[in-house]
Amino acid sequence: MSVISDIAAELADDARAAAMAPVESVKDAKYTLEGIREGRVSPATVLKTAGITLGAAVVVALLLFPLYWVAVGAFSGTGASLYSSSGIRLWPADPTIEPFLWVIGDLIVPSYRISLGLGGYEVFLQTPELTFLDVSQYGVTETSEFKRFFANSLTVAIPTVLLAMCLIVPSAYALSRRQFIGRSKVLYGYVLFTQIGGGLGVALLIALYALFVQFGFNDSKLALSAYYAATAVPFNTWLLKTYMDGIPVSYEEAAMIDGAPSWKIVTEIILPLSKAGLATVFIFTFLTGWTEFVVAQTLLSTDNYTLPVGLYSLVGRYSIPWARFSAFALTFAAPIMLIYLFAQRYIEGGLSFGGMEG
Amino acid sequence: MSVVDSAVERVADSPVVSKDDLPLLLVLPGLFVFLAFMLFPVLYLVYLSFTNAEPATLFQGKEQWVGLANYVTVLSDGQFWNSMGVTWLFVATSVALKVLVGLGIGLVVTGERVRGKRFMRALIIIPLGLPGIFTITIWRGIFSSAEFGLANQFLQMAGLDSIAWLSERWMAFLAYNVTEAWLAYPFMVIITVSALQDVSEELHEAAMIDGAGFFARFLHVTLPSIKRPVLFASILTAAASFQQFLIPYVFNQGGPSRTNELLIVYGYREAFRFQKYGEGAAIMLVAVAVIGVFMMLNVKKGQLADGVDDA
Repeated sequence: MSVISDIAAELADDARAAAMAPVESVKDAKYTLEGIREGRVSPATVLKTAGITLGAAVVVALLLFPLYWVAVGAFSGTGASLYSSSGIRLWPADPTIEPFLWVIGDLIVPSYRISLGLGGYEVFLQTPELTFLDVSQYGVTETSEFKRFFANSLTVAIPTVLLAMCLIVPSAYALSRRQFIGRSKVLYGYVLFTQIGGGLGVALLIALYALFVQFGFNDSKLALSAYYAATAVPFNTWLLKTYMDGIPVSYEEAAMIDGAPSWKIVTEIILPLSKAGLATVFIFTFLTGWTEFVVAQTLLSTDNYTLPVGLYSLVGRYSIPWARFSAFALTFAAPIMLIYLFAQRYIEGGLSFGGMEG
Repeated sequence: MSVVDSAVERVADSPVVSKDDLPLLLVLPGLFVFLAFMLFPVLYLVYLSFTNAEPATLFQGKEQWVGLANYVTVLSDGQFWNSMGVTWLFVATSVALKVLVGLGIGLVVTGERVRGKRFMRALIIIPLGLPGIFTITIWRGIFSSAEFGLANQFLQMAGLDSIAWLSERWMAFLAYNVTEAWLAYPFMVIITVSALQDVSEELHEAAMIDGAGFFARFLHVTLPSIKRPVLFASILTAAASFQQFLIPYVFNQGGPSRTNELLIVYGYREAFRFQKYGEGAAIMLVAVAVIGVFMMLNVKKGQLADGVDDA
């Protein structure tokens, strides 16, 4: 559980830094003002700095404007964003969360009737209907298929993670700690594939599709997960191996002297110390299955569409207003973005961590 | 247990694999699954490219060996050479754009007078965490001809006529480039910023004492010091541009009327839209061969797989 508490501590640090940022900058500004008054700092320099900083901020704002525009679109009233031609808006014309309600739809657990036969008697159990969100109360009658896509994505991503972890963890350990025939060849192949093999997936798609159809695997979410797990192996094995390289060998030597067998060294030293690395690999393999589009679109039928394919299926449908499309896209992408950025940060900290605080 | 033991002993006795190589067994499952889903399809793709496979024949097991016929057809097809040309043009323009944008942003967020640089850098790499399909469908919305299309709204604000971005050849090509640049800029910025931070302060100070202005220092101090990492990043990003599939496919299927089909889109559409699996396979293999040679040359020159040696 220490990974989670670490994460919580980092989040708390971030929150504190964010909360303190205005205070700090006010302090800085006060200091600069004093400097100007006392003649230590020339006003021209301050103006120049302020101007350049403002320019940089404008550049950043322009770069991220498309994302802001999507968010504005998603919160707009349906009609306003599709039909109005009043130019660019910095604030939604008619703010509403209706598009998001359309995306999520009803969250109702229907009541089930369970019957049990107990020695001639029949006992009926009626579970209550649980209503978390009933969108028809807010005037949204038809809803998107987000929940179905979401369920499909989960049934693809979970087997992907399980299979990938089973393949990656032993490989990474062996590559990091043992010498054997062909070791450097495997490593070289994995790194090369990581750097240049990214686009091979689409090129292979014809063969992959033909093979899947002939084996009767097309439209099988499990076969798709196996494919995702296979593509995730090279990069993540390399990543975890690099991570394990950072754990000092002296820990293992100490355990060996104490007479621990090598499986015990793995379970008691290597795995606990590479928790952050394992978490990163977990997230990356999960996202492989969660975000892949081309292969899923080719192999799966409409009923089994995952979220990315579902998103794409909305693109050409002119009956779907832009506001609803944006809301769908944001609901899909925003959690991934947060997770990814966090993993990115954590991995940076993780790679420099040498096992000393374990 | 004894069966396993004796098997282990036999493996240990064999001359090729010694007992010390047992950790290989930990690597083999991963390697096997990887090869089953990567190497085997490659071989099958090679086979398909020598047959007249199409859905009607292939799934009955009735495809016929046609030798090099597919390659001849493909290489003598004007459509193929158009795709090849557009693809390399796209590589050239998009890499140039990505390097310029990356360098520009990199300079902005490392500028010594800029306050809040770390915060800005954190914001700037946000697109890295977005799924590709999300970004590309959103940019399709930006270039949409409908009322909400952001690009046309900008044009209208500037008092210009709106453009049907995705149904004019070069406007669509421009849209691809802009989107590709936005997709790739966080990567370029990360590499450029870390390179810029390694530029030696002493050199800059020495140049300043010699009276060099901002541009002279940029040309003669900054550029030479960051050349190598930026070159490395451009090679990797060139490969990504060459293999770009999603942008043309989502925007307008490589249209209008097949003029902008980048190589991979062309192969995909030949196979899945026009049902010619054999020709599609041949196109894909030619594409893989071209990118393979391109990368091989660059790996030899730039030592891309450096990391393995110190492993």
